[in-house]
Amino acid sequence: MNFKSVWSKISIFLFVLALITSFSAMAGAAEVKVGGLVDVTGATSDVGKDYALGMSDAIHYVNDQGGVNGKQIKLYQFDYGYRIPEALTKYKLFKRLGSVAVLGWGTGDTEALSPTITKDEMPYVSASYSAHLTNPAKTPYNLFAATDYSTNARAAITAWFDKRWPTHPDYGKRKPRFVCSYHFAHPYCSAPIKAIKDQAELLGFEVGPDQNVTLTAIDTKSQVLAMKDFKADLVWHGNTTMSVSATVRDAFALGLGADHIVNNWGFDENLPRLAGKAAEGVMGATVAEFFGNNVKNMDIVVEYAKKYNPGVPLEKRLVRSIQAWANVLALWEAMNRADKAGDLTGPGILKKGFETFRGFDIGLSVPPLNYTATDHRIAGQVPIYEVKNGKFALVELVDLKGRWPDKWANEWLGW
Amino acid sequence: MSTTWLPCGDYHQSYLEDHAWFQTKFIKGKMILLGLFLFVLIPWLADSYWLSVCNQIGYTLLGALGVQLLIGFCGQVTLGHSAFIAVGAYTSTLLILEFPWPQLMLNLGLAYPISIIVAAMVAGLWSVLFGLPSARVKGFYLILTTMAAQFITVDFVITQYVSQIGGRGQAFSLPPGTIKVGPWVIDTDFKVYFMMLVLVTLCIIGLANLLRSRAGRAWVAIRDNDISAEVMGINVVKYKLLAFFVAGFLGGIAGAFWISNLAAISPEHFTWFWSLWLVGVILIGGVGSIHGAIFGSIFMVLVMEFLQIGIMPLADSYPKLLMDFLFIKEAAFGLAICAFMIFEPYGIAYRWWQIKNYFNLWPFSY
Repeated sequence: MNFKSVWSKISIFLFVLALITSFSAMAGAAEVKVGGLVDVTGATSDVGKDYALGMSDAIHYVNDQGGVNGKQIKLYQFDYGYRIPEALTKYKLFKRLGSVAVLGWGTGDTEALSPTITKDEMPYVSASYSAHLTNPAKTPYNLFAATDYSTNARAAITAWFDKRWPTHPDYGKRKPRFVCSYHFAHPYCSAPIKAIKDQAELLGFEVGPDQNVTLTAIDTKSQVLAMKDFKADLVWHGNTTMSVSATVRDAFALGLGADHIVNNWGFDENLPRLAGKAAEGVMGATVAEFFGNNVKNMDIVVEYAKKYNPGVPLEKRLVRSIQAWANVLALWEAMNRADKAGDLTGPGILKKGFETFRGFDIGLSVPPLNYTATDHRIAGQVPIYEVKNGKFALVELVDLKGRWPDKWANEWLGW
Repeated sequence: MSTTWLPCGDYHQSYLEDHAWFQTKFIKGKMILLGLFLFVLIPWLADSYWLSVCNQIGYTLLGALGVQLLIGFCGQVTLGHSAFIAVGAYTSTLLILEFPWPQLMLNLGLAYPISIIVAAMVAGLWSVLFGLPSARVKGFYLILTTMAAQFITVDFVITQYVSQIGGRGQAFSLPPGTIKVGPWVIDTDFKVYFMMLVLVTLCIIGLANLLRSRAGRAWVAIRDNDISAEVMGINVVKYKLLAFFVAGFLGGIAGAFWISNLAAISPEHFTWFWSLWLVGVILIGGVGSIHGAIFGSIFMVLVMEFLQIGIMPLADSYPKLLMDFLFIKEAAFGLAICAFMIFEPYGIAYRWWQIKNYFNLWPFSY
């Protein structure tokens, strides 16, 4: 083969593609562009795939409803493989394409991008619910339609303390013993550690040594044995479902005898499927309704799941889809309000959109949304569920804001 | 002898003439034009996104220069270079965020420039540590020891310990305003671009000077045949370690520069794949030439950009293309290396050399 002809063909191909792109960029005048980052192949893909499906379903729905006051949303949805550098590169691309907002994913990249999006005034609605993103004084453009990890963790340990500990034979004789199991190096997993230990101290727990379990762990016996040495009564899991189910299974097999509480990204329909009997009694926070349950707007979610992703059976869909819908619907409403105010820009979407929400209800069992200029935590109540006969049953709606109003208002914001 | 055009023979009468940077007025003119192109035309014409692409090229080049020195000039194959870039990035970040700088130095904008120099030194010394095995092993065995540098440095030391400093877990964000050079806060792609140009220019001049010094000649001798080099009186271990130091030093500068571009840092920026990527860059650009590192960096970054530009319009019909782009990119990297190995084994720099020679000898190129 003549290499000159090969190179000339490649050059012509690239040139033509560049031309097509420049023309296509001119054609998209009546669209509202939104960037979308998802993880369908990386360390959090066990929960990321379903979230990605939910995101695209929800955007289809929004466009079918007329988009943002008649303007269709153009979603640029990229898989970034849970790689922070890739997320940063893609963010720059979204900016260049003229995106007015970004639907993001992980805690590491969202927190890393936070100073940049603040400078760029780009609303960034993430699937990271890190409490570090809730203080508008530091991260004004970070938002999400869910209760944050720290709030969830505080609520989960409180629910266990309220409901399970009093039934323990040692109740009243000694302090309950508590350990955290999570991937130390990942910002997502470590985000609520300070908060949950603070809550453990507040409630009078004895806190044991943290156990490092990776997000992709399949064997966690050494960590479980360390928890057993400490005689833990309660373990908090900060990883995603696959890793949590591996730990719960090993704990069951090795007779750990402790209860388990789980952060929201480790607590979904796959947990009882993967951990089987070991998952019975596991408690966790959830930020939206489980897929398919009969609540407001779930019929729409199911209809769009069937319509746009018929290849994925409904029984395989997860609460992750609902979480994606919640973020998309919240962003849609914020963009609608900003557009009506004639200011569909980053600051407009934030100030004339999100920060005007006062108990805005999107259904799907998502708490009514409240964002103010001083607080981006949507609510102070978190429902804690447990696995019972392979299904999810409500244990308690923990009202942190009501029980500790001073701490909620003055101490707990932003961590 | 003509002072404008290259003579058709070697008429140098001193080493000074032989080693002169600009041997003719024509070459000096070309370099002035290149300077105008880089320092005036590009920043004038390019938007923020394309400046960020240029910054990516600069970062790749700063990393690739060290790899080129080790592999292309000293014959020490490395697959752990991103570890030294990581050391530079983390040293600079931690110095900026944690070191108790006197207010005067912060006001004068000296903290970041000093952190770059310290980062380069630390990365150079860290690189020497992992260069020590080169005294005893070479070839495949050396590749494995350099890979160990990657895993020990990034996956163990940085991920488990260094990135936990301050209790914030793996990712550091640099608050706006912390990266300041003199009176300029480096907070836009435009400013990062100029900083990149200055660093790249200094590094290239420094390396090119080193290569025409005693050390440079020793490195090339070691590359060509280390036993012969030793017989000639070259202290092989010393010069190998010096090569590791300089490569690490350049890597440290790359890392310290990179934080200004992102205002954030995490171990995921410095994966083993990035080390491999840098080797790919010099293979495609041309092994054993500074031009090779330059051309390779430009080629690899631009090909990925054009690929991305190319699939964007197609994504309307095939939305999965965007979701799969990560893998399309990596497949393109593999394909590019295969294509170059088959069709252009000496890299782009060789083609550049041929083109230059054609014009230099024209019309009597036979």
